[in-house]
Amino acid sequence: MANKSWILLLFVSLSFFACDDDTPDVPDDNFDRTALLTNWADNIIIPGYTDIAQGSKSMVQAAEAFQADPQPQTLNNLRDAWWKVYLVWQRVSMFEIGKAEELGLRDNLNIYPVDTEGVLENISQGNYNLELPSQRDRQGFPAMDFLLYGIANGDAEILEAYTTGDDAEELGIYLIAVVTRIDELLDVVLADWTSGYRDEFIDNNGNSATASVDKLVNDYLFYYEKALRAGKVGIPAGVFSGSPLSTHVELPYRAEGDQTLLLEALDYTQRFFNGKDYTSQQEGVSLKSYLNELDAQKDGTLLSELINAQFESARAKISQLESDFAKQIEMDNTKMLEAYDELQKNVVLLKVDMLQALNINIDYVDADGD
Amino acid sequence: MSKYFLLLLTATTIFFTSCDKDDDTTPSVEAPATYAFTRNNESTVSFSGQTTRIQMATELINGMKDFSIEKSQLLEMYRNETEAGEDANPFSDADLNVSTKSVRSKVAASKEYFSDNVTDGTAIKELFETWINAQVDEVFPNESTLAEAGVAGQIADGSSTRYVNSKGLEYNQLVNKSLIGGLMLDQILNNYLSTTVLDEATNIEDNDADVLAEGKPYTTMEHKWDEAYGYAYGTAADLADPNKTIGADDSFLNKYIGRVEGDADFAGIAAEIFDAFKLGRAAIEAKDYDLRDEQVVILRKALSKVIAVRAVYYLAQGKSALEASPANYGTAFHDLSEGYGFVYSLQFTHNPDTGKPYFSKAEVDAFIADMLGDGANGLWDVQPSTLDAIATTIAAAFDFTVAQAAE
Repeated sequence: MANKSWILLLFVSLSFFACDDDTPDVPDDNFDRTALLTNWADNIIIPGYTDIAQGSKSMVQAAEAFQADPQPQTLNNLRDAWWKVYLVWQRVSMFEIGKAEELGLRDNLNIYPVDTEGVLENISQGNYNLELPSQRDRQGFPAMDFLLYGIANGDAEILEAYTTGDDAEELGIYLIAVVTRIDELLDVVLADWTSGYRDEFIDNNGNSATASVDKLVNDYLFYYEKALRAGKVGIPAGVFSGSPLSTHVELPYRAEGDQTLLLEALDYTQRFFNGKDYTSQQEGVSLKSYLNELDAQKDGTLLSELINAQFESARAKISQLESDFAKQIEMDNTKMLEAYDELQKNVVLLKVDMLQALNINIDYVDADGD
Repeated sequence: MSKYFLLLLTATTIFFTSCDKDDDTTPSVEAPATYAFTRNNESTVSFSGQTTRIQMATELINGMKDFSIEKSQLLEMYRNETEAGEDANPFSDADLNVSTKSVRSKVAASKEYFSDNVTDGTAIKELFETWINAQVDEVFPNESTLAEAGVAGQIADGSSTRYVNSKGLEYNQLVNKSLIGGLMLDQILNNYLSTTVLDEATNIEDNDADVLAEGKPYTTMEHKWDEAYGYAYGTAADLADPNKTIGADDSFLNKYIGRVEGDADFAGIAAEIFDAFKLGRAAIEAKDYDLRDEQVVILRKALSKVIAVRAVYYLAQGKSALEASPANYGTAFHDLSEGYGFVYSLQFTHNPDTGKPYFSKAEVDAFIADMLGDGANGLWDVQPSTLDAIATTIAAAFDFTVAQAAE
């Protein structure tokens, strides 16, 4: 009997020992989370939303000018204005917290591939309500890609569609509806940040699952994993489907520029990690400085250095890709897969190693799929 | 590390040694590697009727999401006959239209639970029709309406769009998940695995003497067992070795055996279920009815547990979506609509220690009343504490915790 309990004890202590391995120690954490949140809000997030809200005003004006007088010059002006906003979108898409989270900003602004059949149905039938969840893949930046580049073949025919086409007027009206909705959503989010949410965000400076740091880090990782890694690269490259889906790239109609959008997204993902000021690019309090203060290391190297190096490796692979990912996928999908692999390596460093060091729990799981 | 390994080895050996002691009768029956049984070189396995019903149920739940479908067609998919009781052809699969089988006739229709309780059996069958009707009457007209408390319509759940009634319930999910209990589980546990069916009439004598069902390669008892098997695996990619694709073969019991298997706290349950089906079938061939009935006990416990784990899982997921800031109603409603169906399915579970469901119809009805009773607008008003209380009560009847099922 005594013998048995001795073994049992060993067995039990052994399992405890194994469990301890999985749970990181709570960091001896005097890190100034208020300073971190302040840098994020004042120097990164609010300037970013301010920038995109301004850009989107110019886009609305350009759309109105185009609608009033569709010709090559107004079309190009609108395309430029849209492109500029779409680039800035890559810098703020990761901040899906507060009002943006409540509205589902990313799902309204950037679901792709766009449902072109649905867009055409809306245009011909006229009675659409873009606020409905079922309408999310008929609007946003991907719908603009279709309306500005994919509605017909070549610029001459596109202009024809807006001038003498059967649904020319309805098409112009739809274009305005789409840019207006983008603009309104961005306005609501910016206004929320500047009229109270900023303080709420910074004051929620604890380290529980509902604290701002834990929440935004989760939102950031969710963005990196699902929207950037999977959405821009993995899904079109066929990582999740077995065979490549070249129609699922971010810009199927403009074609050129998938790489530019991805690089912009990657740059700003890395800048956020390093706490870089939106305009001056000066580094402030950040995930990097947080990790360094904890002296978080992996295999004898600072974790923050490994993460930054991994951002660079991913950038190097992406730089070798065609500007048009559909073309890249059809020519040589292996390069897409290689880029994906480098992006994936940082999922591990960020989601496992960084979160363990910061003692933050993941609050999202892979959807159930039904 | 090797020191620990040695200790682990010692501990494991002792563990296995002590198991062996409880198990002094070595079973003389050996199950084959796959669910393949033959007589005179001919397969004796047959469960095409179960495959058919899973396929009919699949068309029904898909039809409920098709806003252009007629109500009469949905009801015909459920009944496989017209309102006047005549032959109907509601399915896109022609083989299903030819079939005389139907989903409705086997809902809440097990011999053990419902042969002397057609009152409840009929009420349950009709509840499914109520849900089908309500989907067409309440939800379809509001296809392009934004749902709010008291108003049916659509609501975002992440990037998915869900369609709910005025209380936040998705009728298609109620039908889908409640069928897992009302059709699959009830038929398996309380009909085909019940001695009232397995040993009916001269089944034992016939099986003992290898007297085959008329014109068939199997004995009646073998066939009854196969029919139980078919409700779990009837649409598997490999019908004899279904665990290769477990979870991916239907939207009903198979899917959720797979889901529970995927939770590390319950890993192994898929093999446990399949092994029991296999060994029980081999036991019938070997005329070892004690061994067969031991497998029935295993199956009743494990399959009941699958339902309970998923009920608790969805209640917990729904609760955390409601507690999120901002509250995520669309996700919560979707989870809780699924949870509703699994809770409803609990009345078809079978506790081998009592011969009754782990939760009676009255208890299940009370859970549902609680879920919808915190305010006038059902799930729009439900309190996390209410969901927690239901989940805790369910888990307590089984050998797992809410935390184990919740992730």
